[in-house]
Amino acid sequence: MQVKEPEPPSTIHLSAALTAETTLGPRIPSFRSALVTTLRDYGIYFALALLVAYFAVALPQFRTPESALLVLLQVSVIGIIAIGMTFTILTAGIDLSVGSLLAVAGMFSGVFAQKDPSAANVFLAFMLPVLIGLAGGAINGVIIAWAGVNPLIVTLGTLTAYRGFVVWYRVNPIYDLQSYYRVVGQGAVGPLPIPAVILLLMAGMAWVVLNYTRYGRYVYVVGGNPEAARAAGINVPLLKFSVYLISGFCVGVAALIFTSRLMAAQAISGQGFELQAIAAAVVGGASLFGGRGKITNTIVGALIMGVLFTGLVMLNVPAPIQQMVIGVIIITAVWLDAVLRQKGY
Amino acid sequence: MSDHAPIVRMRAISKAFGSTVAVNGVDLDLMPGEIHGVVGENGAGKSTLMRVLSGFYADYVGEIALDGRAVRILHPGQARTLGIGLVHQELSLVPELTVADNIFLGREPLARVPGFLNLTAARIQARTLCRELGIALRPEAKVARLSIAERQLVEVAKGVALNPRVLILDEPTSSLTHQEIGRLGHIIRGLASRGVTIVYISHKLDEVFAVADRVTVLRDGRRVATAPISEWTEATLVQAMVGRDLSSLFPRSRGARGGVRLEVRHLGRKGAFRNVSFAVCSGEILGLYGLIGSGRTALAEALFGLTPAHEGDILLDGARMSIRSPLDAITHGIAMTPEDRRLRGLVPMLPVRTNLSLRALRALSRVGFIRGLRERTEVERIIQALAIHTRSQTVEVSTLSGGNQQKVLIGRWLMVPPRVLILDEPTRGIDVGAKAEVHAIIDRLARDGLAVLLISSELPEILGMSDRIVVMRDGTVAGEVTRQEASEERIMTIAAGGAAERTAS
Repeated sequence: MQVKEPEPPSTIHLSAALTAETTLGPRIPSFRSALVTTLRDYGIYFALALLVAYFAVALPQFRTPESALLVLLQVSVIGIIAIGMTFTILTAGIDLSVGSLLAVAGMFSGVFAQKDPSAANVFLAFMLPVLIGLAGGAINGVIIAWAGVNPLIVTLGTLTAYRGFVVWYRVNPIYDLQSYYRVVGQGAVGPLPIPAVILLLMAGMAWVVLNYTRYGRYVYVVGGNPEAARAAGINVPLLKFSVYLISGFCVGVAALIFTSRLMAAQAISGQGFELQAIAAAVVGGASLFGGRGKITNTIVGALIMGVLFTGLVMLNVPAPIQQMVIGVIIITAVWLDAVLRQKGY
Repeated sequence: MSDHAPIVRMRAISKAFGSTVAVNGVDLDLMPGEIHGVVGENGAGKSTLMRVLSGFYADYVGEIALDGRAVRILHPGQARTLGIGLVHQELSLVPELTVADNIFLGREPLARVPGFLNLTAARIQARTLCRELGIALRPEAKVARLSIAERQLVEVAKGVALNPRVLILDEPTSSLTHQEIGRLGHIIRGLASRGVTIVYISHKLDEVFAVADRVTVLRDGRRVATAPISEWTEATLVQAMVGRDLSSLFPRSRGARGGVRLEVRHLGRKGAFRNVSFAVCSGEILGLYGLIGSGRTALAEALFGLTPAHEGDILLDGARMSIRSPLDAITHGIAMTPEDRRLRGLVPMLPVRTNLSLRALRALSRVGFIRGLRERTEVERIIQALAIHTRSQTVEVSTLSGGNQQKVLIGRWLMVPPRVLILDEPTRGIDVGAKAEVHAIIDRLARDGLAVLLISSELPEILGMSDRIVVMRDGTVAGEVTRQEASEERIMTIAAGGAAERTAS
């Protein structure tokens, strides 16, 4: 559909006279502003390091490789969902339906994981959640991109609808899953749990896509200024559709891991996951207005939440207090980011 | 008029925005019951001066006296209390509310029960007002359902409802039809005969001659002259509006132009422009001039596919093209930098590099992967060629100065050489030094064989840069002049609706 374009040759030769003196000097950064800029860009790493250091000093049992793996394992499901969430947030969208979609995908995976381990059933138990994730994401994407309904509203609607569907389909949990099925959620490659491996793989892929491909560049541009994106010839609706497809895919993978780890498929799975995934992305500095955000920071954001949670549990902090602490941390992180930005750093 | 004392006396009023002085030491007297026309080019300071009087800028310099008593007007509420009302140039209505709601917005009649509004009273008052003004609108109608012209009348009603002693109308007719303009003129004269002082800001000369008693001309933020309408002729008014020498030098290195590159035949889009025909040659800069509302930006947006035309043909190198989207335009080698850099052009939070390479990414990538080194090299080439001042390729584009941001936008389209370049207000809001640089770039591009369509509200820029000038008025081409025969007076006369002229081409 595209006419092939010529490579950009240097046919526009602007004379040297143009490149000489101009009236507009560049800004020279002061040491202080350089410091603040560094803090803004890498502050989240410092924050994670501080948290880990604090818990490591305060808790002997936190200083073990086992607890590191525990954090990774805990973070993996939310982390994978947060990867997809980052794509939607980068386009100034959001996907609230991830928790409900996870329950739908997990339920159908469980249905086949319960049956005798024939090749077809094994295949469906592993593939169906991903396909369902893609389908759920496609429904969101079509409505958002081409019907032009606000993403918040669309995914709020599907959050409710997908949950309703899975409860209607099967309200009772499925527990007696075949034992082969536990490999995804409970297996390990060397010392690393498979969920963590999948998280790292998917984060790596997302990182490559967002930083080194044309598609990734377009995601940022569409989120940063959709009018400019259209004027530059980008198919904005198609791109918006695609990020919900990616989000759905991530949810499908997360659903497989989640169901396999619990060895149970439940209609009530995944409630509140959307908020945890959004929290990971925004703590990582993603802007809900689009165009700003990094996949590495989202993962670090998810790790911060995971470390915090694990550490607070080990400190025997009661669950309600944990929730309050995490709430305060989310707001502080985003507020700090906004303050640094307003100061022009 | 000298037998009356002025109701408003403004002395040595100045107002600056940053380093730009919009109004510079202006004196103005307004007499009771007069209709005072204020005219000038775009950017002459008309609106700013009147916004000072309406309390929008607390940091103005100078003195204002009302009925001989000195006042300092610090906010719009105060101006309203003093009896000064402003009808905005930009529409300031709330579309989801009704006509009556909008007219009484912020001062709704209260019901006896505290905290509740007396909506019936508002509706009745609004109906009376509309009848008095001869506006055929139902007070219950939702503003969102009204046409732009009807909304403008609601704005007028809103201003009149304040019962002001001085009513300022800022370009009140920019989207009214001829008939509606006549209607409005009638309303204005009615108000003036009841003793209301009217300030009528416009750059349409025929309207000013139709309604005004006295006229003040502003140019570059200064007052040029004030005189009764009988002492003005269309020629002297135009002369006063534009009478400045072309002091700034415009570069001109290009030679003979090539063949016709872009041709437009009978192009039209409903409600925006109609029957527009012209041609741009390779190596030529065609200036497109028109006052606000003349349809020039809508025309440019149609050529670039942002809002496609409904009728007529666009030909590139003699071949007809269908341009339904920006992608179509880009594919055919048409490039455009938008009037509003922030809205349509830049992606502010992304780096300079990303903003520059956006258009060329397809050519700069292999199987979807961007070739990083190639991208950096090509971006650096453009940064050098256009002398874009930036600390590095990775700083956010929003940190650059306006001039450099504009160069980034032009540079984006040069990464893959286009065949036609449309520049909509390329030097708006950028300082003098950067302006000269952008002008040099435009000249150089034309020399290299590009066909350039230059849209600008600044007459000196249009005159200095263009080989030919097409003037638009009321949505169509009102005249076309060559560089040799062009003068500010001549173009202004055509644009503001003097004797229409047209060279067969």
